[in-house]
Amino acid sequence: MFEYAVFFFFAAVAVIFALVVVLHRNPVVGALSLVVSFFALAVMYVLLDAPFLAALQVIVYAGAIMVLFLFVIMLLNLQHMSEPATRPIQQFLGYTTSAAFGIGLVYYLLKYAVFTALPSGPFHTEASAIGVALFESYVFPFEMVSILLLAAIVGALLLSARSVAPREVAP
Amino acid sequence: MPFDPTDITLSIVKIAIVLGALLNVTPIMVWVERRGSALIQDRPGPNRVGPFGLLQSFADALKFILKEDIVPQTANKFLYTIAPAIGLLPALTTIAVVPWGREFVLHDIHFFGRTFFTTARLFNPIVADLNVGLLVVFALASLSVYGIVVAGWSSNNKYSLFGGIRASAQMISYELALTLAAVSALLAAGSLRLTDVVWRQTGYFVLFDTIKIPAWNCFSPAMWLSMIIFFVSGFAETNRLPFDFAEAEAELVAGYHTEYSSMKFALFFMGEYMAMTTMSALVTTLFLGGWDIPWYNEPATFVGFLLSALAFVVKVSALLFVFVWVRWTIPRLKYDILMRLGWKVFLPLAVLNIVFVAFFILKGWI
Repeated sequence: MFEYAVFFFFAAVAVIFALVVVLHRNPVVGALSLVVSFFALAVMYVLLDAPFLAALQVIVYAGAIMVLFLFVIMLLNLQHMSEPATRPIQQFLGYTTSAAFGIGLVYYLLKYAVFTALPSGPFHTEASAIGVALFESYVFPFEMVSILLLAAIVGALLLSARSVAPREVAP
Repeated sequence: MPFDPTDITLSIVKIAIVLGALLNVTPIMVWVERRGSALIQDRPGPNRVGPFGLLQSFADALKFILKEDIVPQTANKFLYTIAPAIGLLPALTTIAVVPWGREFVLHDIHFFGRTFFTTARLFNPIVADLNVGLLVVFALASLSVYGIVVAGWSSNNKYSLFGGIRASAQMISYELALTLAAVSALLAAGSLRLTDVVWRQTGYFVLFDTIKIPAWNCFSPAMWLSMIIFFVSGFAETNRLPFDFAEAEAELVAGYHTEYSSMKFALFFMGEYMAMTTMSALVTTLFLGGWDIPWYNEPATFVGFLLSALAFVVKVSALLFVFVWVRWTIPRLKYDILMRLGWKVFLPLAVLNIVFVAFFILKGWI
């Protein structure tokens, strides 16, 4: 009973704040709502007996990534900037395409997805079990991800690197 | 999940103890800070309200309550109002996973003419003994930046905004070093559960078969570097001098809380001291042996619990005094030095230190 109450409360929170992210005009409010949504998602993981995943969800998404997002938004200072006007045809195409995509997604999910109950536990969700699995069964994808991230870092460095030439001194 | 009324009562008692202690830290620390700064600067300090100025904090609180609560006209009203609460929340909740005493057996307690615990029951003095305790600490610590950032942004004041932006950059940078420095203590304990981390430190290192040193992590040479990195990053994480760039009175008026007044300002103040307390409790747990009393085996009784809890409080208080001491001794760094220290010194050192500690553990030297 108690778990159902918690689940439905946080599910509602996650969905409502996800809608706020999409619908609200203010980018800072949007970013903060996304943080709340991520946090509610972390509660889902706790209910699924995966506290490790929940903690990582908060650390990585709600903590690190969204702070960076917020940092950039605040640096750009979009507070008073209004969105550029869109043409009616753009709005129409946007709404119809996304509606078609959404309906299609739900249709195919309902038609082809197979809903099965979770296997009854005990689940091995402690940090050591995840670590061992990561470095034994999944060591190749793990290393591939690290190379991918390294490539991203190098790319970001290359794009943002200042030229080596000395700066011009103002007269 | 079966509900056991005794369990719930015990949980509520624990939460009440922890919250009561944490809320009372602020007035005491304000007094310690003001008298401590006076001691360091060779002046009397507040000594008019009560003996030794002990009631000064209550006078301050009364003043905060009576002041007018001002909301700037151009501020984002909603975010401006909830920002102090957002800032306070992580500071209040993080302490839940920190053990603050030795567990003991409860039995036969007579209270209001009834007998409780006729079957013996273990009382574990920690609010939530999670098996991912330390990760929860870092998860909540990573949320603590939002209070400052939201306050800085919603005030719609350029100094506040600068304070918020600086705080977010600083806290992202130092969180990495903080987490990596804590890894060494976890490696030694082999667990993310903070009670395990403390239990591992309750034994002794025996030198030359005669000298017994408590097996606290801070007495192991492999841990010295990680302890220094953790503690200094803790200063940056709690926005205390020499790293208080979110506030930086000399440059930003009062940083992120420039526009705040009355109890909203007081909440930020409380949040800062609670974050300091939590950080001290974490340093104590990870490196100073938690509730362990050196050269003494705490019995699993109520007396043993009281003694160990007292030891924990003493250690945390000593660290809190170090926070005050450092604040009034070391001036603020330059911002670029702060960022360089975080990314180019602490982060590589913390990563190297993990390898170093792992080597120690492999050799069985810890």
